[in-house]
Amino acid sequence: MTGRLGALLPAGQRRPLVRYLAAVAGYAVGEGVAFGVLVPLLTALLEGRAADAAWWLIPLTAAAGAGWVAHYYMGSGSLRLSSAWRADLYARVGDQLLTLPLGWFDGPRAGQVPQLIIGDVTRVAHTVFLAQALISAVLTPATIAVFLLGFDWRVGLAALLAVPVVLVALSVGRRLTERTEAAHHAATAEAGSRLVEFAGAQPTLRATGQTAAGRAALDEALAGQHRAARREILGSLPGEYLGELGIQLAFTALLLTGLGLATHDQLGPARMIALVVLGISLLRPLDAIVGLGGALRATQASAQRIEELLAVAPLPEPAAGPRIGHAGIELVDARFAYPGGPEVLTGVTLTIPAGRTTALVGASGSGKTTVTKLIARFHDVDSGSVRVGGVDVRELTSGELLGHLALVFQDVYLFDGTVEDNIRFGNPDATPEQVRDAARRAQVDSIVARLPDGWASRVGEGGRLLSGGERQRVAIARALCKDAPIVLLDEATASLDTENEAAVHAALAELAAHRTVLVIAHRLDTIIRADQIAVLDGGRVVECGPHAELLARDGRYAAFWRERGRARGWRLLGGGKAPVGKELTGREPAHQASP
Amino acid sequence: MAADLAVADLAELRRPVRGRVTVAAGLQALAAALAVTPAVVLVEIARRLLNGSGQPVWPLAWVAVGLLVARFALYASASLLSHLADADLAYLLRRRLTDQLSALPLSWFAGGVSAQVRTTAQDDVATLHHAVAHARGDLAAAVAGPAVVVGYLLWVDWSLALVTVALVGAAQAIRMRLKVRATDEVGRVAAAGAELTAAVLETVRGISVVKAFAGGRGAPRFTAAAAEYVDADERAQRIFVRPRAVARATVAPATVVCAVTAAGTGLVAAGWSDPVNLVAFALLGVGLFEQLTPIYLAQDLRVRSRTAARRIGDLLREPRQATVEPARARAVGEPLTVEFDDVHFGYQDAHRVLRGVTATLAPGTVTALVGPSGAGKSTLAMLLARFADVGEGAIRLGGADLRDIDRDDLYRHVGFLLQDVVLLRRSIRDNIALADPAATEDAVRAAARAAAVDDRILALPRGYDSVAGEDAHLSGGEAQRVAIARTLLAGTPIVVLDEATAFADPDSEAAIQDALAALAAGRTLLVIAHRLYTITEADQILVLDDGRLVERGRHDELLAADGRYAQLWHAQQGGRP
Repeated sequence: MTGRLGALLPAGQRRPLVRYLAAVAGYAVGEGVAFGVLVPLLTALLEGRAADAAWWLIPLTAAAGAGWVAHYYMGSGSLRLSSAWRADLYARVGDQLLTLPLGWFDGPRAGQVPQLIIGDVTRVAHTVFLAQALISAVLTPATIAVFLLGFDWRVGLAALLAVPVVLVALSVGRRLTERTEAAHHAATAEAGSRLVEFAGAQPTLRATGQTAAGRAALDEALAGQHRAARREILGSLPGEYLGELGIQLAFTALLLTGLGLATHDQLGPARMIALVVLGISLLRPLDAIVGLGGALRATQASAQRIEELLAVAPLPEPAAGPRIGHAGIELVDARFAYPGGPEVLTGVTLTIPAGRTTALVGASGSGKTTVTKLIARFHDVDSGSVRVGGVDVRELTSGELLGHLALVFQDVYLFDGTVEDNIRFGNPDATPEQVRDAARRAQVDSIVARLPDGWASRVGEGGRLLSGGERQRVAIARALCKDAPIVLLDEATASLDTENEAAVHAALAELAAHRTVLVIAHRLDTIIRADQIAVLDGGRVVECGPHAELLARDGRYAAFWRERGRARGWRLLGGGKAPVGKELTGREPAHQASP
Repeated sequence: MAADLAVADLAELRRPVRGRVTVAAGLQALAAALAVTPAVVLVEIARRLLNGSGQPVWPLAWVAVGLLVARFALYASASLLSHLADADLAYLLRRRLTDQLSALPLSWFAGGVSAQVRTTAQDDVATLHHAVAHARGDLAAAVAGPAVVVGYLLWVDWSLALVTVALVGAAQAIRMRLKVRATDEVGRVAAAGAELTAAVLETVRGISVVKAFAGGRGAPRFTAAAAEYVDADERAQRIFVRPRAVARATVAPATVVCAVTAAGTGLVAAGWSDPVNLVAFALLGVGLFEQLTPIYLAQDLRVRSRTAARRIGDLLREPRQATVEPARARAVGEPLTVEFDDVHFGYQDAHRVLRGVTATLAPGTVTALVGPSGAGKSTLAMLLARFADVGEGAIRLGGADLRDIDRDDLYRHVGFLLQDVVLLRRSIRDNIALADPAATEDAVRAAARAAAVDDRILALPRGYDSVAGEDAHLSGGEAQRVAIARTLLAGTPIVVLDEATAFADPDSEAAIQDALAALAAGRTLLVIAHRLYTITEADQILVLDDGRLVERGRHDELLAADGRYAQLWHAQQGGRP
């Protein structure tokens, strides 16, 4: 536990932390000493020697006074330490996020990052406070135990009887609780997902005309959650109360031992009473340990999650590498599989010439997106190579590589700022004129004209105040503003309204001019206008060439084209007649297919 | 007003288990009162031993042990009772919420409410845990325990009792006042926390943009937000450092023991007090402050419970869709003609979406809805699928008003493919056979073949037994075709369809078209059309503009009329580069 948390300690804070912990320990021992002093004091008082008792007030007052100083020091010290620790963890996690392979963010862990930053970092930084409570709960009783054993070993042993009982109760209780807790957790997750399904599928379920049957899975999940909740309550009962029972058992043993010794004249009555008071004081803080166990486990889990994030290795890159010479891209026998998955690319060889537009086509799942992600180095190839400007991407610094790329993906992400901020993000040094020029060329000025605050309008989190087509135009303006020589583009599949479709097309044409463009193409006219078309199938490029040449070859691409052409000419027929597809030929450009 | 409502909501939601919770609170208070037993018994034993009267002490010890066992039993049964009541109430509330969801109009579900439903039915119900299982019992114990202790101490020695109460009272006063002072700073910390969350989300979701465009400059918003959060938190805490230290030191065991024994020694020396009394104070004075902690924490927890109760109450108050009593339900007549009769519809904000639409869909014909966005196409289609009810006018199916038809009966006649496809986490077979769980294997396969998705399903790891979302991961177009197969099998004679959702996946457009062709055969179709060329052969085109029906007819007729439709047609053809 200390090892795991220790690894997360901020480098400069080790000495202050040790000093702080020493102070906490000193305070906890002081509290124990104050109780220890109480024994001779009480004994003297009960035996009627008030003057002797008064002398013992001096060390007692000293211990209490030291406690006041310690409390102030611990209060400010713990705050300083936890703040420093928290700031350090934020900085380390923040830096790590920027060095993680981009591919990591496509994985399941990325969704946990907000929880990690908000919840886990706070919990780990609060270890400082937790340590204070834990040390007090252990060292104060330990000190009292030393006094008690010193005063009378028999009474001491009776009181300490509680310790093994409490420890056994804790571990037994924990084991019982863990199982029922995990079962309840799983049942809750199942009920939650059934609930989301039930709400999300309401139209579907009602459309089946079987309202009752549609609820069966949810009802079962809710009943399961209820059963698991009741079981958890019963399961946690022993854990919660065995410890308590142990403490009461110890009290009983303490009282009976004291009485036995006193009635057999082994111990003076005054002394016996004072020792039982001390024994009860020993037992009181043990209660707290029971509660701290859960907090400690949660902290450990948090520390582990943070450590795992920090341990993810970045993709290796050189400190200084060669410069990118030209804007061409080559993939040579590139193979790639996502961790634990089947091979997605089974040997892609493709040359993407500088200054030209290459269209990638293929069925969903054929690996089109993976190709673009390997070029931007979201992941590294398993074998083969990806070369940009003649240099293997693994030999480039990420600054050099990403400096030459502009990514315009489907799930365009805009930052919660103004339209202008978002465009400028592509090139912070751009002049206002350059920003406006990029905006105009990407047809963003017409969006701005419609927005209430013009250029200063905020776009909302993720850009949700703009429509899909509008977001894409802003992303294109951002890429134009950056003016990178290579553009990786994933064309939107969602149907755009007429006005947006025209605007996006014009913006894309602007972006494609004089640049190397690799586009995952969905629109027929984007495909037909590309300088070369690469057809992906089964994880490799099966055909590559310009439109007319590939059609003439009458292979994969020609089949694809016929299928898409059939779709393009399709219309829904009235009166229940079967629809017919109007076939397109290669010589008949798509946009003429519509009557 | 809003707070009153939340309080009322909490009381109303808690009502079914009120009796059990009250009994549990009583038991817990009794257990808390018995906590003084060891001290009382020990003082009495000391008194008897020291005054040399020879009174028996052993019976006292056994009484103490007996009372502790009783306390333990009381405590455990109170906890068991209240926690089981909480679990039962949670189950009850979740079922009530499920009933409510089944009764809400479908329009309520538009626009993604899944997250809200999960928050309310799972998280908010769980948040009530404290209010149900703990609030009353903890409060009763926090009052009964200290009351008995203070009462006993006053009885033993009132002057020493006042010293103890003064120390504990001072500390409690400091911490209650701190809570008030904290309000402003807590607001700033909460705001900083919200900004940090937003910054993290942005950094994670926009990471490729951050890296590709920002180079090595880091994520400035995150860095700034983290610094502000740490700073806000530290400043808020800094205010508390001194007063909190004072409060804690005031009631630290050493301080309490020191003060009580110092005063006690003086009183004993002066002959005003019996030294035995000091035993009671050394034992009971130390724990007194901690017993008050639940009172200090209760406020926050109460606010949280009330907020949660309010959200649950709000969901339960959502207006349900009017239902028709089974006895008064009207049967759907023949022929299965759909009539829109002067249909008006508006949302609560008084925005009129439809202003008097009248149209007829003859059985077996295809009708297309056309018009600019916002014209009311989707609304009209959704009204036929009864996502909501008309404001004025009526929609009739086979002569019966939709509102007079039993819901299940209605959906046996009207099917729809309007929103994004939802596959349930069940086998693909069950997903297709949703409307007719007794359908034969052949019928399911036939529907899947007609929807051009049979091959794809057979290629799944367990074929038709593969479970959607578990071992069946289908693309958007494939899921769309499963949904079409489902609608085919359901066999509803009328189908409402949105072209945009039907063609969300261009890579499988042709296959979906084949599926739709199978669906259209022999049925009455109402299609929301975006790409006009797909509906040039429709039997009837309804052109909507600003909630009104402005034109109707076949493609050629409307082009010849050179009106709104012709305008839209030319704009779309011209707009295609």
